[in-house]
Formats: sequence, C-alpha cells, structure tokens
Amino acid sequence: MSRLDQLQREFFAALQFPLRGASRTLTYLPESDEPHEAAFLAKAEEIIKPGPRLSAPERLELYHRQYWYRLLDSIGEDFPILARMLGEERFWTLMEDYLAAGPSQSFTLRHLGERLPEFAATWERASESECPWLYAIARLEYARMEVFERAEYRPVQPEELATCELMLQPHVVRLALPRPADLCAEWETFIPVPLASVVMAVWRGPHGIPNDARLDPVEAILLDRLAAGGTLASVFQEPVDPEPTPEQISAWFGAWHARGWIAVKPESGEAIPFVRELDESADPGAGVDKMGSQSRAMD
Amino acid sequence: MPVEPDFFFHAMTNPRFTGGVSLGTGIGLRVPHYRHILSEKPTVGWFEIISENYMVDGGRPLEVLDRILDQYQVVQHGVGLYPGNANGLDFDHLRRLKSLVRRTNTPWISDHLCWGSVDGSMSHDLLPVPFTFEAVRKTAENLRIAQDYLEIPLAVENVSSYAEFNDDEMTEWEFLAEVVEAADVGILLDVNNIYVSSFNHGFNPLDYVNFVPPERVAQIHIAGHSKYERFIIDTHDHAVIDPVWHLYARAIERCGPVATLLEWDARIPSFEEVWTEARKSEQWRGVAADTAPDKPEPGGHVAA
Repeated sequence: MSRLDQLQREFFAALQFPLRGASRTLTYLPESDEPHEAAFLAKAEEIIKPGPRLSAPERLELYHRQYWYRLLDSIGEDFPILARMLGEERFWTLMEDYLAAGPSQSFTLRHLGERLPEFAATWERASESECPWLYAIARLEYARMEVFERAEYRPVQPEELATCELMLQPHVVRLALPRPADLCAEWETFIPVPLASVVMAVWRGPHGIPNDARLDPVEAILLDRLAAGGTLASVFQEPVDPEPTPEQISAWFGAWHARGWIAVKPESGEAIPFVRELDESADPGAGVDKMGSQSRAMD
Repeated sequence: MPVEPDFFFHAMTNPRFTGGVSLGTGIGLRVPHYRHILSEKPTVGWFEIISENYMVDGGRPLEVLDRILDQYQVVQHGVGLYPGNANGLDFDHLRRLKSLVRRTNTPWISDHLCWGSVDGSMSHDLLPVPFTFEAVRKTAENLRIAQDYLEIPLAVENVSSYAEFNDDEMTEWEFLAEVVEAADVGILLDVNNIYVSSFNHGFNPLDYVNFVPPERVAQIHIAGHSKYERFIIDTHDHAVIDPVWHLYARAIERCGPVATLLEWDARIPSFEEVWTEARKSEQWRGVAADTAPDKPEPGGHVAA
C-alpha cells in the first residue's frame, strides 16, 4: 500500500468516528457527554500538522463535523414520514446508527438512504413489532427518491397499443411491503390497523412529483410481465391465477395508461430516454440540488 | 474597488484550456432561481451547473436542464471526480459525466483538486490532498485519464482547506502548479478558497496568486464565506469580501479577462442580488480586457 493510500484510509476512517462534543450540539442528534475517542485524537496528532490557531485534532474535527453534517442534513430531509412516526429523538438515533454502520456507496447523496429499509428492519433499538413498520415506511419513502431520477421512455400512443412491443416505464417502482406504510402519510402517530402486507407502485407523476397506489396481487403479476417487455397480448393472454375478470383487466389497464406507465420498448442499441417538456406550474426545482461544493455554516 | 494593474502584460488563457470559448460573467444555476430564470429569461453570460445533480436517467433535473440549455451556455462543474484518490478514478462516474457532457455541450469541465472516497465509500466532501511528490504523480495520472476519456478540456480547482498534513513536501501553490503541468490540464482558480486557506494556514494569499501559471487559468471562482474566531469555513453564503476582490484583481492582472463565476449556495438571495454581485467582477475584467494584447469579442467565441 502506498503512503498516499494509507493516509487517505486513515483520514477516512477518522471521519467515521462518532460525532462528539460541540460538533454534536449543532445537530439534532441526542445529546452526549462523551468526549472524542482517544484513537481519533491520536490519529489527528499523527497525520495532521497543527495550524496557527488550531491544534491538529481541532483541524481534523472540522472535516469530521462537516462529514456528519452533510450526511445528516441530506438523509434527514429524505424520510419525513419516518421521522414523524418515530419521533425526532428516535429518528435521529436511527440515522446515526445507520450512518455509523457504513459509509455512502454512491456518488450522489440522493442514494444515501438506499440501505436504510434493510437496516431499519433489524434495528436493535426497535421492537419486533416496530421493525416491519420501519422497513415499510423507509422503503416507501426511498422509492420516492428512486422514481425522482429514473428514466422514462416514449409513452405509447393509443394507435400503437395493438402493434408495438411495450414495457413498464422504468420510473414505476413496485414494492411488496410487510405493513400498510402508505397509511402513515396521513397519521401524526401510529394508529392500530390490521397488520396486512400490501403491494404498491410508486411512480413519477406528470409534474415530477412521486405518486403511489396500491396494487392487486394479480395486477402486480401482470405488471411484472409488462416490465419484462412484450406485446399487449403476451401480457394478458397467458393464464394467471386467480384469473381476473374482464372488468378488472379493463380497470387496471385503464389506470396504467392514464398514469403514463406504459412505454414503447426501445428497439435496439442504446435506449434514448424521453425527457418531458418542463411543466412550469409545478415547483421546477424541488429535490434537484442534493450536491454542492459548499460547507455548512457552524452557527 | 478597482485596483490599477501594476503591469500591462496579460498571459491570456491558452484557448486549449477553454475549448476556444471565451465567456464573461456567470453564476451558479441554483434551485431558488429556477422559476425566475425560466419565466423571465434574464440576460446572463453563462450558468455553471453541479454535474452530479444532473447525472440522472430522467425526471425533473433533466427537464429543467434542457430548458436552460435552450437559452443559455452551461459549463459543468463537478464535486465527485476526486482526482486525488490514491486508488484511482471511478469509471462509472466518468461514463455518467461524459453522457452529461454530450447533453450540455460544455466547452470545458471542472472539478476539485481533492480526494474523497476509499474503495467506493464516499465522503461527499472535498478532502485535502497531502502536498507530496507521490500525490502529484497520482493526481496528475488521474487527471490525464479523465481528460483523455472526457475528450474536452479539464480544469482543476483549488479547494478551501482546514488542515495540512505532516507529510507535506511543498506549498499548495507549488503542488497545484506541479499537478497541472504534469497532467496538462487547466486551472479553475478560486480566489475565495485561496483567501480561506490562507487564513486557516497562515500564508500570504498573494504568494499563491502570484505563483499560479496564468496561461492555464480557464476560469475563476469568487464567493463568500463564514469567518469564525479561529478559522474560516467556505460556506458560499455571503457576498464577496473586499480582500477577496483584491485577490481577484491581482489574478485578472496576471491572467487577463478570464471567465468568472460567483458561487452562492446557501442563504441564497434573489436572482438580481446574486447577479449584481457577480457583475462587480466586470470592472476589473474590463480594465484587463482593455489592456490585453488580443482582446476577444465580448461574450463571443474566439478561435482555438
């Protein structure tokens, strides 16, 4: 290992030490009186040169707190329903535990919550009955991040339905959730409901706003077929159990078409995503600016 | 306040670092201004975008970007290339970046002289590179690969920093010059970052500005920052302070009327306030342009 590689690994490891001291008081994390670990302070002295006004640990701490602030600020705005359901203190504890469990694996902070649903499903501070709810809420909220930036292909025209190879728009995410997490959008706190699993779709609406809807289990099977690509006949003519009624098929298909879920399957080569004309009646910028080069102020 | 040039020779940016394109005053394209820009179509020299915000497969970011591209010149500025990474570049990232380059037709592309990830784990920060000869070699190698792959001029920006390493073997300005020479890339000179680092590390910022190879400066950044009792943080949330304007004036004296962009990324005021602040830079570039040996057409393209 080169010296440069070693130095960067040690620096990066130091960033992931828990947030402590004055740095922590500028976040929503639960208060803690614990000081920096001795290993953090020792590593700072080892690799960082003292400055004219700051010691080596104080200089390393500036990077350490910016690392945490950036991640906490970003993920905190991505899971508002989870925050409301858990309450602020438990939510931020979950976020701290999640981020401490492993660093981001994506170039964009939009993906920072990608592994949160699985983490929440086995979070040791949650009860056995809470975990499926936490998974379901986090998964549904992360799906809203996913559909925000997914591709869209050319929507099918009515005259093309009978002849073209079709596919489900990539921005339609299908979810099997162990609890009816969609109900939480209207709740201030948990309300006892039957513990049913639900199948859902989340998709990007015409104003770029994520929408969600429940799916019938048979409808979900038919959507799986559409996602694989094929003609209308291949989607609907193969047997499915239980067999839906013609009225059900008509209603489902009508809803898919009205929601813009059906695309013409790109023929070959590189698929060229379709970009809609901007609808200025909606907020044009919501969610775009996840990344930046600035640091966070400390007041 | 304008500063009289202390000599009348401008090195002028070599056009190969700007794709032969000469730009004037620009500002960062930021969400709070989208609606104003789209509806009012204000006169702006150019916009800089953060590449990573538009490296998506579809949706609202590309819808907005395409509308902006219909009206304005856009230059891409990245925060995730991490050319100082010891374990090399992320080629998936480069592929996405190149796809966006094709969309925006950016004349050059910039990113930061920093590192930021280890084995695919991301800091999402612009972390300081130790100023060592080993780091010069590795960073230059990464920048060469990136520029060759992207097939457009690449400029690297000096970052604000809050720490120095015991391993350092040279000054930051020596490191920057060594890297850009070895990589044969341009410089995005951030004079606010020089000021921030000079306070944090105790050096004379003019020593930095006076050492930069002027012919490689493709673009200049100006910005505000947050000053605390013992350190400064590069927050991009204030107007540009006078000492930074003085550094800017000196940079323009040395480099000529380089494309200049104001970064204002937090506590963002109205579009008009940001644009007015950015245009303050023109008083110095006007002096430089008037005394430059080959004055480019205002806002137009020059031959490569």
